[in-house]
Amino acid sequence: MAVSLSKGGNVSLSKEAPGLTAVNVGLGWDARVTDGAAFDLDASVFVVGENDKVLNDQAFVFYNNKKSACGNVEHQGDNRSGEGSGDDELVSVNLAGLGAETKRLVFAVTIHEAEARHQSFGQVGKAYIRVMNQAGGTEIARFDLSEDASTETAMIFGELYRHGEEWKFKAIGQGFAGGLAPLAANFGVNLA
Amino acid sequence: MALTLQKGGNLSLSKTDPSLTKILVGLGWDPRVTDGAAFDLDASAFLLNADGKVRGEQDFIFYNQLRSPEGAVEHAGDSRDGLGDGDDEAIKVDLTKVPADVDKIAFVVTIHEAEARRQSFGQVGKAFIRIVNSVSGVEVVRFDLAEDASTETAMNFGELYRHNGEWKFRAVGQGYAGGLKAMCDQFGLNL
Repeated sequence: MAVSLSKGGNVSLSKEAPGLTAVNVGLGWDARVTDGAAFDLDASVFVVGENDKVLNDQAFVFYNNKKSACGNVEHQGDNRSGEGSGDDELVSVNLAGLGAETKRLVFAVTIHEAEARHQSFGQVGKAYIRVMNQAGGTEIARFDLSEDASTETAMIFGELYRHGEEWKFKAIGQGFAGGLAPLAANFGVNLA
Repeated sequence: MALTLQKGGNLSLSKTDPSLTKILVGLGWDPRVTDGAAFDLDASAFLLNADGKVRGEQDFIFYNQLRSPEGAVEHAGDSRDGLGDGDDEAIKVDLTKVPADVDKIAFVVTIHEAEARRQSFGQVGKAFIRIVNSVSGVEVVRFDLAEDASTETAMNFGELYRHNGEWKFRAVGQGYAGGLKAMCDQFGLNL
């Protein structure tokens, strides 16, 4: 039975699903009906080490870099309009394969070409992030982001992180004004 | 050797550090990098009598009342955003100066304007509260707020209390729905 988290809350995936080795992290949202350009949200993952920065250049996983250097984090592809029910974008994570230097995986969502298209998260409804056990597909934890109208164009949804011997998931739901560039810079990724 | 407190855990000072007379309660957290109101955590102390109530307003030590009259408890000042390394706020206690009718000192940490800002400890990066023996500099106990108190906005971290002529420490780690006001009510203080 999936744990439903509130902002700031966390859950031990290892306790909820003993023997867990791999997860699928799904991000979903509804695109409201708008005139003009499609509403294109992009999921990305920052694979972060002890110093709160990405481990290397390929540790920023997104639609143009679908696999981490170690191969344990894989983005399943870009959904450009939010069409379809269920998860709009999916990231597979092989937890058992991650090296000890990997401390956190931070899941972010950004709006593609937000400035040019004059779009922000205020228009986004039913945004959520969920963690599923790859073996069997059961949903372990979920965070439904009921954010009020917001002017942000980039948001940290949640993170997978190590805590002692366990893997845990924390619901974050915090935005970054200015979008992907400062968000990425925060994790040591230079987008130049 | 610092004990990392688990919720509901208990620590006997007489076993861990029998020489404890001067302590420092340290509170720290990371400043906010994401959007929204800054995270402003506040440390406070309640001096309580044998019935678990304050004797008067002077027994609530916090950012607007930094010192107890006889000097046993002293708050080092308010940090409003957590900038800087180490403890962002600290409360010093000299156990030898605590008045005879004070039986217990409760240490509380709260998030300023938590309801209005819709914040809880889980959103605050690396939030912790700890007790240090200020004579030896040894950390006695630490509680990781962001991890273990993630959905709380106010917490009774722990209490120093008298027992058979010595001081002991009970690690409580329990939150209060209703925040600081509920805790003040519990301790007999009308805000």
